[in-house]
Amino acid sequence: MASSSSSATAAEATERRGIPAASFVGDVQTYLNQLGLDVNSTLSFLQERLQQYKLVEMKLLAQQRDLQAKIPDIEKCLDVVSTLQAKKGTGEALLADFEVSEGIYSRARIEDADSVCLWLGANVMLEYSCEEANTLLRNNLENAKASLEVLIADLQFLRDQVTITQVTIARVYNWDVHQRRARQATPATA
Amino acid sequence: MQQGGGSSDTEVTWEDQQNINKFGRLNNRLHDLLDEIKIAKETNENLEDASNELILTDEEVVRFQIGEVFAHVSKDEVETRIDQLKETTDKSLEKLEEEKQSITAQMAELKKILYGKFKDSINLEED
Repeated sequence: MASSSSSATAAEATERRGIPAASFVGDVQTYLNQLGLDVNSTLSFLQERLQQYKLVEMKLLAQQRDLQAKIPDIEKCLDVVSTLQAKKGTGEALLADFEVSEGIYSRARIEDADSVCLWLGANVMLEYSCEEANTLLRNNLENAKASLEVLIADLQFLRDQVTITQVTIARVYNWDVHQRRARQATPATA
Repeated sequence: MQQGGGSSDTEVTWEDQQNINKFGRLNNRLHDLLDEIKIAKETNENLEDASNELILTDEEVVRFQIGEVFAHVSKDEVETRIDQLKETTDKSLEKLEEEKQSITAQMAELKKILYGKFKDSINLEED
């Protein structure tokens, strides 16, 4: 379904990361002629486009929620690593109460932590020195924040396309009502 | 929030469309901001409660949550940490409130423009 950019479209991106842009309609009559469809087919085409947009929006929102949960986790890990590094200097042990199982806690004595183990996912855990762990975690945090920004921009673009499509649907519908009224006012002579 | 299209008389220009889009974006951002502000206020309250409890307790060592574990930290250090956290939260709360002000002002501007052009054909209120 090639809705080629209509004559009234400004120089906007015609698509972004696989999301087709909704072409802006300057004049409803011209738009209908361009598409070569009647009003009802146009309306159903636009509705379908709207549904597709909504689907993509759901997907992006889920990704956004995941990223937003990941970022505080990484920050917590950074916190722990920097606490360990701070304690390293003083020579005293760090006493920590940690969860062994749900509702069950135990005490740990951490002495002079030179290295930490980081969970990389996919059942893989690697040992790093405190500095390396710090660097790695900071990189992950930067990447996560950057991805989140791109995602938010995508969502904004998508919402714009949804708005444009909704406005177009309303205008095509109104135009149709207007046409019908005009036709009724001047009944065709037999 | 709905946006109706123009009536059969009013034409919708690209500029109008962009204004409508911008209004939509601002509205979404406003809702996100309201949630963030709520969370920041709750965090502040929790920190307040925590520091009050701290004053009342007579233990020297407090279990302070770092990451997923509770580290044994001296009372003074905990007090310092809580104060730092409170300062950070206060600052971010201030920034969020500022953004909220600016967005509300921009939205009021856009409402004036759009209602001016479209009058009844458009609805920009919360449903």
